[in-house]
Amino acid sequence: MSTMVNKYDALKTNDDSGEEDNGTREIKETEKPLPPLEVKPGEHRLQYSYCIWFSRRAPGKQATTQNYDQNLQLIGRFASVEQFWGHYSHLVRPAHLTSHSDIHIFKDGIKPMWEDSANKNGGKWIVRLRKGLASRCWENMILAMLGEQFLVGDEICGAVISVRFQEDIISVWNRTAQDSLTTGRIRDTLKRVLNLPPNTVMEYKTHNDSLKHTHSASSLLRKPGPPMRHDLLH
Amino acid sequence: MSASPVARQAVAQAKPQTIPRRVTINSPAELPNDYSTTPGGTLFSTTPGGTRIIYERNFLLQMRNSPLAKTPPKNLPVIPGVTAKDNAVVHRENGTIAEEPEKTEPTEGDQFEMDL
Repeated sequence: MSTMVNKYDALKTNDDSGEEDNGTREIKETEKPLPPLEVKPGEHRLQYSYCIWFSRRAPGKQATTQNYDQNLQLIGRFASVEQFWGHYSHLVRPAHLTSHSDIHIFKDGIKPMWEDSANKNGGKWIVRLRKGLASRCWENMILAMLGEQFLVGDEICGAVISVRFQEDIISVWNRTAQDSLTTGRIRDTLKRVLNLPPNTVMEYKTHNDSLKHTHSASSLLRKPGPPMRHDLLH
Repeated sequence: MSASPVARQAVAQAKPQTIPRRVTINSPAELPNDYSTTPGGTLFSTTPGGTRIIYERNFLLQMRNSPLAKTPPKNLPVIPGVTAKDNAVVHRENGTIAEEPEKTEPTEGDQFEMDL
């Protein structure tokens, strides 16, 4: 009985998965959680459910928190290995995405934004890849995340592949930037599972620093940003 | 370990039959669906964070070709250049992502090789 209800709820919410056009929208901590996903008999349940998001920055357009949020498009949700492949097989690989595209795979309930409550004390490992490596590394990344290979409990929030002009960037977000045991473990797992070239540079950045540096051109996801928002800078 | 000579002989005689047949598999799709799963169909492992559902990479890759994984996702938004229309599958091949050649087209202002 309850599964029936969930089934139809899931159909309903998937319909309005596009972002609202409400221009004055702030980051809503109160956003209604999406209903749980159904895992059919015979499917292999994952430890967590995930959402796949897509965003693409319009060329020349300044990114602000607001339009970043509005550019995020929910592509789908999955709770099992089979549902994941169903989606993944219908998505082009990073190597075939145009520049300034991002694919985000985040745990259900966590928006791929610094401001989400799960992310606000967190940070990310950044792996810069020369062109040609992204598709393979990204697939390895996702499989390790879905398969719980990181062994850091609840710490992983999600992962992003950012396609840029001359390089591609994989980032892994975790909840607690100050937890060096966790961030160390994530780094070591990344090195192991991504099969990176030996000279690959890895960098850890707290989201707080990302917010502070929104002005600088080095910001990965959002270039010249809005005036600094003091609420998140303490 | 201390089996009787008779038992040892029986084991030795039985051995040739227990050697599995060699089956040539040309594609992961030919693997049985339950290959490398536990009877419950899921791999569980206990980690410091408690019991979690853990899957190895190879297992996940095998699942890619299972019939259940071919169900097209519901309400997949069509985004040109990002998602496939209808039931078209963009790529189905398994574990075959090769390194692509580095972009060689010349880009202005990029005369110096960066040592990353």
